Amino acid sequence: MSRARPFPAAATLGILALSACTGPQSALDPAGEDAAEIAGLFWQMLAGAAVIWCLVLGGSVLASWRGRSLWQVATALKVILWAGAVFPTVVLAGLLIHGLRLMPGLRATESDLRIEVVGERFWWRVIYHRDGAPPVTSANEIRLPAGATVEFILSSPDVIHSFWIPPLGGKTDLIPGRTTRQVLRPTKPGVYRGACAEFCGASHALMALTAEVMTPDDFARWLQAEAGPAAVTAGPGPDAFLRHGCAACHTVRGTEANALVGPDLTHLGSRHTVGAGILANSPAAIARFVAHADTLKPEIRMPSYAMLPETELRLLADWLASLR
Amino acid sequence: MSEAPDQALLAAQEDRLRRVWETPGGWRYWSAVNNTEVGVWYTATSFFFFLFAGVLALIMRGQLAVPDNDLVSPGLYNQLFTLHGTMMMFLFAVPIFEAVAILILPQMLAARDLPFPRLSAFGYWCFLIGGVFVAGSIFFNAAPDGGWFMYPPLTTDPEFSGIGADIWLLGLSFIEVASIAAAVELIVGVLKCRPPGMRINLIPLYCWYVLIVAGMILFAFPPLIAGDILFEMERLFNWPFFDPSRGGDPILWQHLFWIFGHPEVYIIFLPSIALLAMIVPTFAQRPIVGYGWIVLAAVGTGFLSFGLWAHHMFTTGLPIVSQGFFSAASEAVAIPTGVQIFVFVATMLAGRVVFAIPMLYATGALAIFVFGGLTGVMVALAPFDWQAHDSYFVVAHLHYTLIGGMFFPLIAGVYYFYPFVMGRMLSDRLGKWAFWLMFTGFNIAFLPMHFTGLRGMPRRVFTYPEGLGFDLLNLVSTLGAFVMAAGVLVLTWDLVRPLNWKPKAPKNPWNAGTLEWAEGDPESPWGIRSVPIIESRYPLWDQPDLARKIHEGRFFLPDAEEGKRETMVTTVLDAEPLQVLRLPGNSFLPMLAAVFVGGSFIAATFHWWVTTILSGVIGIGVIMVWLWTGTSMIPEKREKNAGLGTVLPLYASGPSSVGWWAMFITMVGDGTAFGSLVFSYFFYWTIRPDFPPPDATGPGQFYPTLAAILALLAWGLMLLARTRNRAGHELKALFMVMGSAFAALGSGAAILWAPYVTGLEPTRDSYDATVWVLAIWTAVHLGVGVLMQGYCVARGLAGKLSARHDIDLQNVTLYWHFATITALTTALVTGLFPLAVGGG
Amino acid sequence: MLRFGDKANLWFLIAPPTIWALHFLFCYVTAAVICAKSGLSADLRPIQIAIGAATVVAALLIVAAGWKAYRHWRPSSELPPYDDPSDDDREQFLGISTFLLSCLSLVGVVFVALPALFIADCR
Repeated sequence: MSRARPFPAAATLGILALSACTGPQSALDPAGEDAAEIAGLFWQMLAGAAVIWCLVLGGSVLASWRGRSLWQVATALKVILWAGAVFPTVVLAGLLIHGLRLMPGLRATESDLRIEVVGERFWWRVIYHRDGAPPVTSANEIRLPAGATVEFILSSPDVIHSFWIPPLGGKTDLIPGRTTRQVLRPTKPGVYRGACAEFCGASHALMALTAEVMTPDDFARWLQAEAGPAAVTAGPGPDAFLRHGCAACHTVRGTEANALVGPDLTHLGSRHTVGAGILANSPAAIARFVAHADTLKPEIRMPSYAMLPETELRLLADWLASLR
Repeated sequence: MSEAPDQALLAAQEDRLRRVWETPGGWRYWSAVNNTEVGVWYTATSFFFFLFAGVLALIMRGQLAVPDNDLVSPGLYNQLFTLHGTMMMFLFAVPIFEAVAILILPQMLAARDLPFPRLSAFGYWCFLIGGVFVAGSIFFNAAPDGGWFMYPPLTTDPEFSGIGADIWLLGLSFIEVASIAAAVELIVGVLKCRPPGMRINLIPLYCWYVLIVAGMILFAFPPLIAGDILFEMERLFNWPFFDPSRGGDPILWQHLFWIFGHPEVYIIFLPSIALLAMIVPTFAQRPIVGYGWIVLAAVGTGFLSFGLWAHHMFTTGLPIVSQGFFSAASEAVAIPTGVQIFVFVATMLAGRVVFAIPMLYATGALAIFVFGGLTGVMVALAPFDWQAHDSYFVVAHLHYTLIGGMFFPLIAGVYYFYPFVMGRMLSDRLGKWAFWLMFTGFNIAFLPMHFTGLRGMPRRVFTYPEGLGFDLLNLVSTLGAFVMAAGVLVLTWDLVRPLNWKPKAPKNPWNAGTLEWAEGDPESPWGIRSVPIIESRYPLWDQPDLARKIHEGRFFLPDAEEGKRETMVTTVLDAEPLQVLRLPGNSFLPMLAAVFVGGSFIAATFHWWVTTILSGVIGIGVIMVWLWTGTSMIPEKREKNAGLGTVLPLYASGPSSVGWWAMFITMVGDGTAFGSLVFSYFFYWTIRPDFPPPDATGPGQFYPTLAAILALLAWGLMLLARTRNRAGHELKALFMVMGSAFAALGSGAAILWAPYVTGLEPTRDSYDATVWVLAIWTAVHLGVGVLMQGYCVARGLAGKLSARHDIDLQNVTLYWHFATITALTTALVTGLFPLAVGGG
Repeated sequence: MLRFGDKANLWFLIAPPTIWALHFLFCYVTAAVICAKSGLSADLRPIQIAIGAATVVAALLIVAAGWKAYRHWRPSSELPPYDDPSDDDREQFLGISTFLLSCLSLVGVVFVALPALFIADCR
C-alpha cells in the first residue's frame, strides 16, 4: 500500500479525488470484491453527480443573469416538467434498479469460512470456526484467505458496535441480543485496518482491528499454528502473569490462564498491534499498555498496573511478546 | 366608500388600536404574548443556541486538527458532539422555523396575531427553560454524551451512562411538547386565520410550507415522545424495553427515533425552502412559475419523508428486501426536491432577476444543497451506504444538506425580512463578506470530509492515528471551519450592531408582492391596520392602492371599539369570513406555567420526586387559571360589525371555532404517540418467538373488557351531555358529565387493576412492561379527561357554560372521542390479542 | 362554516400520497414479519405475489384519483397559474396539484415495489 502523497489545499476536485483515495483503511483502495463493487458504484455516481451539479448550477446562474431575454412562462413550465421531474425520475429509477441488482451478491448465503466476531468495550473477540475441529479463538486481528467467501457472525454482549474493514467491504452492526451477518470476499493479500463504526463510548475511537489477507496456503498454516498452545508456557514470564492476577481475565492456552473476560493472549506476539489497534506491537508497547491501560484507553475494563516494578513489567511484556 | 378619509376618525381608531395592542413597558414587557415580541425573542434565543453549538463544533475541529491530539478529553469530546448535534437540531433548526413562522405568518396572512398568542408565549418559555437546562449541563461536565441519537444500551445501562442521558430525555421531551404546541397553532393559523378572499389557491407559498411542516411535526414528534417515555421508564424504573436479557430490543429505539429523525430533516429543510419561495419571486419581480408544482413538491416530500427512516439503519442487519423498500423511498423523495429547485430556476428564467444580498445567499444555498442532495442519492443506495454509513462521508453529506438546505436559505431570509421586523436595512458590504467567508469556509471544511470518510475515518471519534491518510484532510477541514466561523462572526455583528447605525428601511424595500410588506412600519403594534380582501397571490403587485387602503382602515376590523384584541376567522378553502375572534392579551401566566411544568421535568432529572410532583401540580393549576381567565370568554354581545357592512358573530363553538380545531389537531398528535406505543407492542411480537411469553400471567380478559365497557359508557354520557346542553337542559348535562367522570374513573381503575391483579411485573419482561405502559398511558388520558370534565362542571356552575356558549363542553367531548378510542385499543390489544395468538 | 364538500377536497389532495403510504407500509410490514418469523431461508415468493397484487391495487386507486383530479383540472379550458379568486380557479388549482401528486405517488409506488422484483429471499 502506498501512503497518501501531500497535495495543495487548493487542489481541484479531480486531483483531490485521485490522491485522496489510498490508505490501509480506505474504501476507495479496495482489496476485496465487495469493496471493489461499491467503489466502482461510487465513482459512477460521482461522475453522474458532477455532471448534474454543473448543469443545475449552470442553469441557475444563467437564469439569474440580467439583461437576457425573458422566457415564456409556458417554456419555463416545461423546464420544471422535464428537468425537475422527468429527468430525475428516469435517472433515479435506473440507479435504484442498478443498486437493487447489486445487493444479493453482496450478501452471499454460501461461505467457505465462518468467523465469529464479538464486539466488546473496546476490543474484538474473534473465533474461527473449522469443520471437524474445535474453534480457534483470537482477538483484535482477523486473518483471511484471499479468494474465499468469508461469513462473519456478529454479536455483542454490552453495547452496539459496528464491524468495518473499509478496504474489504461494507459494515454491519453488532447488536446486543441479536446476531447479524456480514460476508466479505477478500482478494488482495496485504495488511489492512478496520475500525468500530458505531459510537460505543469513551474509547470508541480506540477500537480498531487489523485485517490481514493471506494466500490460502499461508492462511491454512497460520490457522494451524494459531490453534496450538502458547510458545512458552513455563518460566518466570508465565509465573509473573499468574502472580499478578492476569489469569483472572485472560487466556493463554497451555498455561493455567483460561478466563474469558479479556482478549485471548495465546499468540499475542504474532499480532500486528496491541490494545485493539492502538499501539504497534513490541515488548515496550505491551509494557506500556499493561502499566497505563486506563489512560491509553479511557473506560477500559482492564485496570492499569502502574504499581508493578519495572522489572516485573518487562518480564511480563517480554514473555507476552515472545508468544508468536 | 368615501374617497377622502376622515383624518380625525382615523387618528381615533389608531389610538384605540394602539392602546389595545401596545406592548407593555418595564418589567411587564416580559408578559407580552403578541407574535411580534414572542417571535423576536424566539428567533434571538435560537440564534444564540446556534452560536453556542457552533462554538462546540469549533472546539471539536480544534481537537481533530492533528492526529493524536489532546486538546480535550475523550469524555468532553463525546459531550461536545452529542450536544452539538442535539442543540443544532432541537434548539436551533426546529425552533427557528417556529420562531420565524410566528414572526412573519400573521402579517403574511393579514392577521393581527396567531389564534392562540398565549400558547406561543408558553412555547417560547418552555423552549428557553429547556434549552438553557440542556445547554448549560456542559458547564457542569454533565452534558449527555451518548450521541444525539442516544442509542441504548449505551445510554440506558447505568454502567455506561449518567445524568446526561436524563437531561437529554427530560429536557428535550419538554421542548418537544412546546414544538407540538407551536405546530398546532401554525396549522390553525394557516387554515382559519387568513384574510377574506385568500382562497386556498392564493395562499402565499410560505404558508403552504408552514402548514405541511406543522403537519409533519404532528406525526413525527409523537413517536419520539413515545420512545422517550419508554426510555425514561427504563432509566428510572428499570423497565426492560431495550434490554435484550429480558425480552427487550435496542433496535426498537432506533425505529422510534428515526421515524422521528428522518422527517425531522425535512421539517428543518422545507421551511427554509419556503423562505426561498418568497424571496425568488420578489427578486425575479414576477409571480412564481409553477405554484401547483410547489404544492406537489411540499406535500409529496412531507409524505415520502415518512418512508425513509430505516435508511439510517441499513447496517443493523435488516433483510435486504426491507432495505430495498427504504432505499426506493429514499430515491423517490429526491424527485419532489428536484421539482422545487427547478421551480426557482424557471421563475428566474421567466423574470428579470435583481441580484441583491438575499439572492446571493439563495444561490450559495443552491450550490451547496444540490451537492448535498446528490450525495444523498448516493447514500440512499444501500450498498454504498454500507461503506459510507457512520463515516465522515455522512458528516459531509448531512452538513451539505443542512447548511445548503437550511442555513443559507435562512440567512437569505434574515437579510430579506430584517427590514420587515426591525425597520432597518442590514449592510450589503458585511452581507457579502459574511457570505464569502461562510461559503468558502464551509466548502473547505466539508468537501474534504467526503474523502476523509471514504478513506475510512468513522464518525464520533475524538482522535485518529497518523499515517492513515486522515491527517491533511482533517487539518484542512479545521481551517475551513474557522474561516466559516469568521463569516458567522461578521453576520452576527451585522445583526447585533446598534440599530441607529443601520439605514432606515423604505416601505417595502424589495418591492415584494405579499401582504407582510403592506404595513411597512414595525413600530405600529397592531400588525395590520385593517384586514383587506385579497384577490391575488401577490396583492401588493396586483391590487392597486392596497397598502394605502389598508392604512386608511377601508377594510375589516379598522377599529377596536370595545377595547379588545380581535382578528378574523375565515373558512378553510375559500376564506369566507366566519367570526371575529377575541384574542387574550398580555399575561405572565404562560411564563409561570412554563416555569412550573419545566421545574417538574428538571426535578425529575435529579429524582427529586416531591419537587417534581409539587411543581407539576402547581403547573397544572396555573394552566387551569390561564384557561379559566383566558379562553372561551363569553362576549358582551353576540355579534359585531366587522366593517364593510359585514356582521360577524363574536363567539363560535364546535368545528367552526379555532379551539375545536386545536383540540382535534392536538389529539391527532396524541393519537400518533399512542400508536407508537402500540407499534412497540407488535414490534416485540414480530421479533420474539414467544410474545406474550408463556409465563406471562396477565392481564386477562375480564378487566380490560370492563374498562372498555366503562369507557364506552363515559363516552356515551359525554355525547348525551353535549346534546342535552345544546337543547337547553344545562343542569342535566352537568349531571351527565359527572356521571361520565365516574364511569371514566372506573374505566381507568380497571385498566390499571388488570396488570396489577394478574401479577405482571414491569421489571421482569418487556411484555409486562409494555402492557403496563399501555395501561398507564390510557389511565392518564382518562384521568386528564376527568380533570376536563371537572373543569366543565365548574364552568357550568360559575355560569360560564351554557346552551349557547358551549366551547368547553364541545372540546372536551372531542377529547373524549380520542380518549375512548385509546381505551378501546388498549383493551383490545392487551386483553384480546394474546388470545388471538394463543398466549396469555 | 366549513362545508363537508370543501373539506373533502383537501382530503382529496392528500389521498394519492396516503395510498402510497399504505402501500409502503404493507410491503414493509409483510416482508418484515415473514422474515422475522421464518428467518434467513424464508422464501419470499408468496410475498412477491402479495406485493405485486397490492401494487396493482394501489396503482389503480392512484390512477382513479389522478383521473378525477384531471377532470377537476381541465387543462384544455385554461392554463396555469389559476390565481383568480374564483371557484373555477380554486377547483383547477386543486385539480392540477392533486393530479401531480398522483403522478408522484404512482412513481413512488412503482419504486417501492421494485425491491420485491429483484430480491427473492430474506438474506
